[in-house]
Amino acid sequence: MQVSIKWLNDYIKFNETAEELADKYTMSGVPVENVIRADEGLDKVVTGRIEKLEAHPDSDHLQICQMNVGEPELIQIITGAQNVAEGQIVPVAMVGAHLPNGLHIKKGKLRGLPSNGMLCSAEELKMDLSKLTEAEKNGIYILPADTPVGVPAKDVLGLDDVVLEFELTANRADCFSVVGLVREAAVLTGNEPHYPEISVKEDDEAKAADMIKIGIDSELCDRFAARVIKNVKVGPSPEWMQQRLEGAGIRAINNVVDVTNFVMVELGQPMHAYDYDEIAGHSLTARLAKEGENLHTLDDSSRIAKGTELVIADAEKPAGLAGVMGGLESEVTEKTTTIVLEAASFNGASIRRTSRACGLHSEASGRFERGVDVTAIPRALDRACQLLQEMGACTVTQGMVDVYPQQKEQTEIHYTAEQINARLGTQLSAAKMMEILTSLGFAVQTEGEGFVAKVPSWRNDCTCMEDLSEEISRIYGFDNIAPSLPWGAVMQGKQSPRQDFIDKIKEILVGLGMTEELSFSFTNTDLLDKMLVPADSELRKAVPIMNPLTDDYPLVRTSLLTSIMENAVRNFSRKNMDLRLFDVAPVFFPKQLPVTEQPEEVVKLVGLMTGRRNTVGWNQTNDMIDFYDMKGLVEELLASLSISKYTVEAGEHFALHPGKTALFKKGREVIATIGELHPQAAENFGIKQKVYLFEMDVEVLMKYTAKNFHFDSLPKFPATSRDLAIVVDSDAEAGKIEQVITKNGGKHFKSVTLFDVYTGEHVAKGKKSLAFNLQFQSKDKTLTDEEADTAFNNILKAVEKQFGAELRA
Amino acid sequence: MEEKISELKAAAVAEVKAAGDLTALNDIRVKYLGKKGEFTAILRGMGSLSAEERPKVGKIVNVAKAEVEEAINAQTGELKAKELSARLASEKIDVTLPGRSVPQGHLHPLTLTMQRIKDIFVHMGFSVEEGPEIERDYFNFEALNLPKDHPARDMQDSFYITDEILMRSQTSPVQARTMQSNEPNKPIRMIAPGRVYRRDEYDATHSPMFTQVEGLVIDKGISFADLKGTLELFLHQIFNENVGVRFRPSFFPFTEPSAEVDISCVMCHGEGCKVCKGTGWLEILGAGMVHPHVLEMSGYDPKVVSGFAFGLGVERIAMLSYGIDDLRLFYDNDVRFLQQF
Repeated sequence: MQVSIKWLNDYIKFNETAEELADKYTMSGVPVENVIRADEGLDKVVTGRIEKLEAHPDSDHLQICQMNVGEPELIQIITGAQNVAEGQIVPVAMVGAHLPNGLHIKKGKLRGLPSNGMLCSAEELKMDLSKLTEAEKNGIYILPADTPVGVPAKDVLGLDDVVLEFELTANRADCFSVVGLVREAAVLTGNEPHYPEISVKEDDEAKAADMIKIGIDSELCDRFAARVIKNVKVGPSPEWMQQRLEGAGIRAINNVVDVTNFVMVELGQPMHAYDYDEIAGHSLTARLAKEGENLHTLDDSSRIAKGTELVIADAEKPAGLAGVMGGLESEVTEKTTTIVLEAASFNGASIRRTSRACGLHSEASGRFERGVDVTAIPRALDRACQLLQEMGACTVTQGMVDVYPQQKEQTEIHYTAEQINARLGTQLSAAKMMEILTSLGFAVQTEGEGFVAKVPSWRNDCTCMEDLSEEISRIYGFDNIAPSLPWGAVMQGKQSPRQDFIDKIKEILVGLGMTEELSFSFTNTDLLDKMLVPADSELRKAVPIMNPLTDDYPLVRTSLLTSIMENAVRNFSRKNMDLRLFDVAPVFFPKQLPVTEQPEEVVKLVGLMTGRRNTVGWNQTNDMIDFYDMKGLVEELLASLSISKYTVEAGEHFALHPGKTALFKKGREVIATIGELHPQAAENFGIKQKVYLFEMDVEVLMKYTAKNFHFDSLPKFPATSRDLAIVVDSDAEAGKIEQVITKNGGKHFKSVTLFDVYTGEHVAKGKKSLAFNLQFQSKDKTLTDEEADTAFNNILKAVEKQFGAELRA
Repeated sequence: MEEKISELKAAAVAEVKAAGDLTALNDIRVKYLGKKGEFTAILRGMGSLSAEERPKVGKIVNVAKAEVEEAINAQTGELKAKELSARLASEKIDVTLPGRSVPQGHLHPLTLTMQRIKDIFVHMGFSVEEGPEIERDYFNFEALNLPKDHPARDMQDSFYITDEILMRSQTSPVQARTMQSNEPNKPIRMIAPGRVYRRDEYDATHSPMFTQVEGLVIDKGISFADLKGTLELFLHQIFNENVGVRFRPSFFPFTEPSAEVDISCVMCHGEGCKVCKGTGWLEILGAGMVHPHVLEMSGYDPKVVSGFAFGLGVERIAMLSYGIDDLRLFYDNDVRFLQQF
């Protein structure tokens, strides 16, 4: 909604500047988005008469003007214009003016003679050139001879208007009209409004009711009224009306269309004009479209009706989509002589559905969606007839045809001052409340201890005491309400255990040098293909979005791995080659496809490491991150989360290198999967360096984290150390050997650390040497050598037996 | 005899002073004071002296020995000091060479901002609640007084999964879920942080996914003044004590009265600049008194309790806090950006 200050001024005068008024509107809940000024830069441009004109002695094209600008003394201006003559009145930019084109007018000299201003062209004043003749466009803009001298040029050029652009909220249907905005302005400025006086002379003998039949055949229409006008002369509307419409952002078309638009903006009631002679059977009915019916609208497009659209139909066919767009056949043209003017009230939700389904949004549909003042429909029809009549463009037939089956009852809201004050936290008097409500058009009466407020017909949004509290507070001023803090039950501020756990994971990973990323929850099949997700995988059953933003991301993600890979690739493309990233976020699994209920949301944790192990430095090695960096990180994370006694084994994952994938397990449940990105996936993403990934499920981790942490007391007796160096087959898994060592270490066994792995000339081919340090310790005594040796030998026997290990010489 | 001792002492002291290192000094000690040293020889030779002379000479020798000993000690100290300073000099390194860096992790700036927001509210007694990101239309809209085909639904263009299921367009559904899981009229102080989704083109100020924090306070006697006080307190803590706060009447279907809350522009301090589009104010959150329909639909009695709700965008607060001018930086995940936080 936008409206010019001039249009507002037609009905109310005020001393506030446009900006001040805009601020008052905004701070009372009628937000003004922009104040648009046509007079921007015209502050020091006035009208002036050329009293004397002579040629410049030192120039063949410059002229010296002695200008009367309404001051006691003439001022001298040198001009290069050739279309000027003595006695003409022209716009003069005075010294200090800052014109719309950026030109700054200063005192100057031209060929030695002082010049104290500038005569202006239409273009320099930013006038609408499309409305000017060629002569007016070229050279200095010559004003009519009777123009007063020394007045602001913007006033005589029609450039004095300022437009307020509103960004109205969905509840304030009443403000979608000039009259509604004037009503607000009256309350905000305290000035008296003067609304248009509506009266129509029924100067044609024909009776409307004899000419047209009106009917309602749907609950989606509350009221349907029409007037018939005859002897219509279609032509341009008067300049003042065109100006008002232009200020409202509406293009002038012809007097009939302009009047319907004018009334819509002035009173908020959309209207439609039908060519009477094109209405089959001279009857109009508001009804639901029949399925398959052709809807031929003003934009000359045809739609097939679904049967849910409300239409206005003549005896044969739909003559328009009700409230959205009129029909082409009954459009008013230059040949039209008799017109049916329609004003109605339609169900907002229905109009909204149809307008969205057809992709047709108009000034009218927007107003119907929010709801019109059903009681004001006859006024709108009368106003339109009055305006056309005043232009001499028609005669008005007798009476109005009005179908209004269910009279709207006036809403009454009961309230007490205590209720309002309790809601607002204020101590306003009942009288103050009544004053505000009355100024807004509510009729307030006392009722026992409290009050009853009758809601004006244009405020469909007000239905309860709470709505009144808003009306009172927005006019009283939110800023005038003193802040306080809530009191009442003392509450414990806390997070859920899962939130705490996720925060802890993030903290640990950051401590381990990992950086957190956040990525969109969308994915696509291409990413799943690149990640080598098998055709039958659950991850392929992603939830599809009905209306994705683009076709690029039509699915809700089932894996964070695709997201973290996208981010890695984006970083690589920007030459960020060393990455340590992690992400904690939900992924979504439908319970079935197509989706019928909410999908399951599973919070996953993924990590990615790639590039150099150390930052580049004079004292750092250039080693690249390998599998064991990632494994070490995961081990540290699990340890910090108090998850222990898990096993690690070689495993498989579609996106990972088959020989470099490990599964961390608690019993049979996988708690972490780690590995190197599959070389084929790397190729698919165009990645040349090795990338390591981990993936975990936060709920699973939470299940295994130790609930209560107890410390181990420090040992009182020293540990005994033994080194075990064995030669085993090169494919023997160190992890399994450690498990056997641990299992056979006896009651004093404390720990095992693999400190050397060797293959090469000193061991046989197909073999490797592993060296473990074993620690034995007792809580009660210092172990004897014999005790340690016994334990050591038991371990040795076990690894010999199970892995064919030989003690290394 | 005395003279001989004196000469011997003088020679010894001279040698000590001339000794260039600890080995030479030790040699001198052995030569004069050792078991076979010269002073020892004199003491041994005292047998030829008379009984009166013996103690006298003995005393002189011991005094001389002590003097030599003292000279040796002094010289030892000096030599050790020299040796230490030579060692220190030889061990000098270029302390201006860069240190060995330790890989440093970083939390995402939105996480950092979210943690600050949560901390402020948790300290005010708010609990942190969660809800599903793929939500029922009922909780996302209808239970919030936004029936189907309500024009206010235009404010939030949503991603739909089915006609009844959508990617939540706000964290407000957690309000209704929390109320409905409670006993009727039980007091509530909660925030619900999380991701939300809207069909907005991805640009410098919009994103199809972003982060919101919803807040809800319900109790007996909660007023609009309480809403103002709570949010002013929050904004003063998250920005600073001097930031200006203003409440503008607005419209949300789930609150009545409703307010948009602005802060004075943190860039220009209210003077008017590009960031605040010359107004001096920045829109920072939406709030209002919970609409009685919302309470009723979730089993709370608006005649018994009242409450306020608010919703704020975490990206917006992070952008203003850190001076970030393009929202896309948060989701681009360029490590050069992430590592600054």
